[in-house]
Amino acid sequence: MSNAFAALQEMMSCQNREIHTNEKEVTEKEVTLHLLPGEQLLCEASTVLKYVQEDSCQHGVYGRLVCTDFKIAFLGDDESALDNDETQFKNKVIGENDITLHCVDQIYGVFDEKKKTLFGQLKKYPEKLIIHCKDLRVFQFCLRYTKEEEVKRIVSGIIHHTQAPKLLKRLFLFSYATAAQNNTVTDPKNHTVMFDTLKDWCWELERTKGNMKYKAVSVNEGYKVCERLPAYFVVPTPLPEENVQRFQGHGIPIWCWSCHNGSALLKMSALPKEQDDGILQIQKSFLDGIYKTIHRPPYEIVKTEDLSSNFLSLQEIQTAYSKFKQLFLIGFPSPPPYCGSDHTATLLFSPSSAYQLPSDNSTEFWDTDIKWFSLLESSSWLDIIRRCLKKAIEITECMEAQNMNVLLLEENASDLCCLISSLVQLMMDPHCRTRIGFQSLIQKEWVMGGHCFLDRCNHLRQNDKEEVPVFLLFLDCVWQLVHQHPPAFEFTETYLTVLSDSLYIPIFSTFFFNSPHQKDTNMGREGQDTQSKPLNLLTVWDWSVQFEPKAQTLLKNPLYVEKPKLDKGQRKGMRFKHQRQLSLPLTQSKSSPKRGFFREETDHLIKNLLGKRISKLINSSDELQDNFREFYDSWHSKSTDYHGLLLPHIEGPELKVWAQRYLRWIPEAQILGGGQVATLSKLLEMMEEVQSLQEKIDERHHSQQAPQAEAPCLLRNSARLSSLFPFALLQRHSSKPVLPTSGWKALGDEDDLAKREDEFVDLGDV
Amino acid sequence: MWWGGRGQSFNIAPQKEEPEMGSVQENRMPEPRSRQPSSCLASRCLPGEQILAWAPGVRKGLEPELSGTLICTNFRVTFQPCGWQWNQDTPLNSEYDFALVNIGRLEAVSGLSRVQLLRPGSLHKFIPEEILIHGRDFRLLRVGFEAGGLEPQAFQVTMAIVQARAQSNQAQQYSGITLSKAGQGSGSRKPPIPLMETAEDWETERKKQAARGWRVSTVNERFDVATSLPRYFWVPNRILDSEVRRAFGHFHQGRGPRLSWHHPGGSDLLRCGGFYTASDPNKEDIRAVELLLQAGHSDVVLVDTMDELPSLADVQLAHLRLRALCLPDSSVAEDKWLSALEGTRWLDYVRACLRKASDISVLVTSRVRSVILQERGDRDLNGLLSSLVQLLSAPEARTLFGFQSLVQREWVAAGHPFLTRLGGTGASEEAPVFLLFLDCVWQLLQQFPADFEFSEFFLLALHDSVRVPDTLTFLRNTPWERGKQSGQLNSYTQVYTPGYSQPPAGNSFNLQLSVWDWDLRYSNAQILQFQNPGYDPEHCPDSWLPRPQPSFMVPGPPSSVWLFSRGALTPLNQLCPWRDSPSLLAVSSRWLPRPAISSESLADQEWGLPSHWGACPLPPGLLLPGYLGPQIRLWRRCYLRGRPEVQMGLSAPTISGLQDELSHLQELLRKWTPRISPEDHSKKRDPHTILNPTEIAGILKGRAEGDLG
Repeated sequence: MSNAFAALQEMMSCQNREIHTNEKEVTEKEVTLHLLPGEQLLCEASTVLKYVQEDSCQHGVYGRLVCTDFKIAFLGDDESALDNDETQFKNKVIGENDITLHCVDQIYGVFDEKKKTLFGQLKKYPEKLIIHCKDLRVFQFCLRYTKEEEVKRIVSGIIHHTQAPKLLKRLFLFSYATAAQNNTVTDPKNHTVMFDTLKDWCWELERTKGNMKYKAVSVNEGYKVCERLPAYFVVPTPLPEENVQRFQGHGIPIWCWSCHNGSALLKMSALPKEQDDGILQIQKSFLDGIYKTIHRPPYEIVKTEDLSSNFLSLQEIQTAYSKFKQLFLIGFPSPPPYCGSDHTATLLFSPSSAYQLPSDNSTEFWDTDIKWFSLLESSSWLDIIRRCLKKAIEITECMEAQNMNVLLLEENASDLCCLISSLVQLMMDPHCRTRIGFQSLIQKEWVMGGHCFLDRCNHLRQNDKEEVPVFLLFLDCVWQLVHQHPPAFEFTETYLTVLSDSLYIPIFSTFFFNSPHQKDTNMGREGQDTQSKPLNLLTVWDWSVQFEPKAQTLLKNPLYVEKPKLDKGQRKGMRFKHQRQLSLPLTQSKSSPKRGFFREETDHLIKNLLGKRISKLINSSDELQDNFREFYDSWHSKSTDYHGLLLPHIEGPELKVWAQRYLRWIPEAQILGGGQVATLSKLLEMMEEVQSLQEKIDERHHSQQAPQAEAPCLLRNSARLSSLFPFALLQRHSSKPVLPTSGWKALGDEDDLAKREDEFVDLGDV
Repeated sequence: MWWGGRGQSFNIAPQKEEPEMGSVQENRMPEPRSRQPSSCLASRCLPGEQILAWAPGVRKGLEPELSGTLICTNFRVTFQPCGWQWNQDTPLNSEYDFALVNIGRLEAVSGLSRVQLLRPGSLHKFIPEEILIHGRDFRLLRVGFEAGGLEPQAFQVTMAIVQARAQSNQAQQYSGITLSKAGQGSGSRKPPIPLMETAEDWETERKKQAARGWRVSTVNERFDVATSLPRYFWVPNRILDSEVRRAFGHFHQGRGPRLSWHHPGGSDLLRCGGFYTASDPNKEDIRAVELLLQAGHSDVVLVDTMDELPSLADVQLAHLRLRALCLPDSSVAEDKWLSALEGTRWLDYVRACLRKASDISVLVTSRVRSVILQERGDRDLNGLLSSLVQLLSAPEARTLFGFQSLVQREWVAAGHPFLTRLGGTGASEEAPVFLLFLDCVWQLLQQFPADFEFSEFFLLALHDSVRVPDTLTFLRNTPWERGKQSGQLNSYTQVYTPGYSQPPAGNSFNLQLSVWDWDLRYSNAQILQFQNPGYDPEHCPDSWLPRPQPSFMVPGPPSSVWLFSRGALTPLNQLCPWRDSPSLLAVSSRWLPRPAISSESLADQEWGLPSHWGACPLPPGLLLPGYLGPQIRLWRRCYLRGRPEVQMGLSAPTISGLQDELSHLQELLRKWTPRISPEDHSKKRDPHTILNPTEIAGILKGRAEGDLG
């Protein structure tokens, strides 16, 4: 298995080398700018000073700032110094000084020590440029030594290309795909299920044993019925296909996933709100018909979860995240002009004095990190995560313990629906916790589910839209699970972090369309040239595009153990039961009164669908709260089966900040030689030993040469790594105890000491 | 020697009456109507312990529920599960023992009502169905009583607990267990932790640190310099005991400057009390004081320990708030939890300690100099900082042995008033400084998981031991009191001479046990958990280039004297406050003007630095902890133990929980290495040693541990 994997990686990296061999090079300059296929240099400026913060000591690096139609890049003059082998976890597409245009969050200019947001046409050009990135990096470029002409060109160029609204067709995605066409080979062995064929859906139905009651339909082939929905999807078997067409796919229960006990997770986009009584009547009878199909045996009782009301609004998510990210967008403080200044007799310790920096809006954090917790809380980002996890647990309880179907209802069924249904599947279906399973899940629920990545990330910079990080919220929820139950997941938090970064790399099609329809219609070349093949867009799941196989080992959790395979006969009999489920109080007496309750509720379902929402009908029910509590407590009181149902802790102290993603660029947050890396390296070492042992055994048994296993050598010598590993490699790990100023000279003469070095102290005597 | 035990079980033989407990007659027979094998219960008593009442009950709150017996004695409340194998490993039970002083709150539940039990009178005709014991160490014990005729017993035991607790507040001093270990051979597994009560201990430790310019002073052998000081301590070679005596008189409570730790690079870390400002030292006294402080170095840095650190009252208040917050029924809503946690300020104090310790370790490691920690009392924060600095700078202090010796030396022997600070005397000066220290150590542990030989469980065990009345380690305020108890002062007249060695203590029958005798309360399996599986001594290569110690300087005025305060060094004109204007100094408690520098100018100086400062290499083995807001976390496994939801799942190292996890992991392991046949074991290492389940468990737990509090 692992050999196959290694071979696969090898192969993919070969392909990839081909992709990048046709990089154009700008030959005049000493430092080369690496351009991707199809990438064009737009403007540049030389003698730009980039501030580098190194162990609280700040200095500058001269170099060239360039802007292409893909990225903003800084090419330092002494690149070689930084380009040492410490940067092993290198992204092949994005260098450490590269910012893709889509990754730019805010641009500030400093005019006479004052920081201002830059946008539109500028009358005056700043002496310093500060760029906040969506992956929370902060870059500062000093333009004081740059020619005025170049300053104008680069600043206005950057502002224009990162802020002006864009046409979809002008995304770099297409230029890249066009230019790289010849070299791009469709990845044959990426096992991620893309859900773009009927077969994929049938496979998923079979895997979850949902094929008894649900069927994959191709009614939307060619997007005839609806542009929001994928070409293929799954509906309850008795549902007539005309129904799908009736309201362009609205009001149709669409299957997401089936639980081992037969209950299913469904989603439905709400019917358009109508005032006209006549239409309302029609809608009502339509829904009645739908309801009749899904609310009779063999289908389980349906519970509706209306995610559009009483749960979470996109606005809340947006506000919370923008507050939250400010906590981490730490620019370093404005330094005085770059020159060696006088030192006074008072000596400082850099760590402490980090608390006394003049505030530069963002650096207030360091002044106030005594208030860290209340700032964190006031952003309410963690609380939003808690609410999502809680909702997912509630739904899990309904499906697992009460054997009910749950129907998620949302206006377009493409935001919170995606989030909640993915979370539920992640908790209930161990397959989703493998890397392939997780990628397939995202493909199924988010990409094919029609999550508007383009709009939510505002990749096109449309003025009327704002970034709503729903997908990031999902990743953060997943991180909480990964963090609380590390052995249950095949992927690591580093995987999640680089996945979140990939959201802004416009060479992958995965996150750059609003719907599969939009993707498919834009795949053809300009001018509907029917002769040429459709564009071949890369998918983000091809990790070899971004990382070398060696770096990819960091995406794989060494603690993960695959589910032991039962032999086939056994499996049929056992039917994949969860350990926990057996011990849960699955009482008949409890569910019978609910039958009545939910009968009544179907009326409300209809009312809800018709826009007359009755608030808090379900959520405030005490009984349901009690069920939730009981379910939650009883699960947590037992030991965890990592291949069974998995619930997160959601109490106040248990939800954490995703430190790797949010703190990785902050030098002060670096713990040299510390952090989880230290443990991880020890663990990998042990794993390696086991692996080599096993290989030797295999060798003995099969008497053939086993291929060399991939050794995770990135973690060698972890003492030299820091808690921010594998990110923040800019830091050289030499220099933390900075004892600044000349005052020390007086204290002790270093030379003197060096001379005495040859005296050897015998520890034994005395 | 004193550890020389051979037998697997301690003989808790019926001792002769304790001298201190003479009034309390051992009552080994429980009440006649008890239906349990009472002799069995009684045999579990400590010497001098009396069973007051007991009742059968069921331990609740954790799966599975355990049935057993709830016993109240005059020292503790303990729950003994049925089938608890007495003669197994541990004479005492670490998990269900609640010393009476440790009971923070007592509640009884009957039906839907819940009563807090304060006085014996508060329990009128209330038949408790369940009793909740909240420990001041954040533990919680829930015992339910079964119905069916046993109500009177339940009532009785509850009453007994309430009464015993009320009485225990009356400053009842327990003398610790004296167990006979005689006849237990020499099969000791580990070197004993030096108690630093003999001159040899100090001499051995001095040699270990290669502190060549120092010697063991016997000036306090009779505790006549200071009762709070240990009998022995280290002073510079060249200074006579008479000078030491003379100089120490000018420090608060006679706690003059002593060596805490000698850095292999040549620096020395000293600690001392505040200058006794009212005294009027003569010239020679001042010279002696200066010599002691200078310790042969030309550079001297005085560290004002109290500066920027919380006061004792602050620590106490924060701890009380933290405890209130972590109570299982604390009313804080989930979404307000973080600000409530911040409101306790506990983590803020932890941060302050770490920051200061980190700065001081840079001072100690960067140049050869004498760094003096000065705190007025020299018994609280000095110990905390000095221990933390050693943990950060000395890899050997991070081993199990090293850490225990460190605590014994810098806290126990140095006279940290444990009894007072932990509220044992009922005095107002309660402040859990030691627990603050443990929290700091925990932070280090989770920031540097590969650098410590001991685990979180060890810290928890230590945390829980501070109020357990079985050893004297934490039950006395000063080495003098402790010595008085253990009869060590018989050697009053002995004077240390280099060739002299004390008679082996093993000869004496009354061996005082210390908290480091873990097998008293922890089973072997639990003690195994004290080892950190992720510890990797190679991780921080211990490649100290021992810089030669500068030749001992000719006594003379130091060439530079600095005060370290607020993260900055300020030059001082003189070392002692008295010489020039004693009257003025006597008035102000802080004898030096603070540097009046605004934060702006500080920052300006900071940022104009040449980049080559970055070239100074990080000394190997030095840990520099993170202390930013997101890096300081809540020690959940300690403080949240009482919460039901935390008791489950990710919870404390309960035996049952660990067993479950272990068996689960072992199962995983079997799947992991399915085809290793026995003959392969010889090829490399035994796979079971490679992936020892305990190690994996620890690692998993470590990883499950939160990133942010």
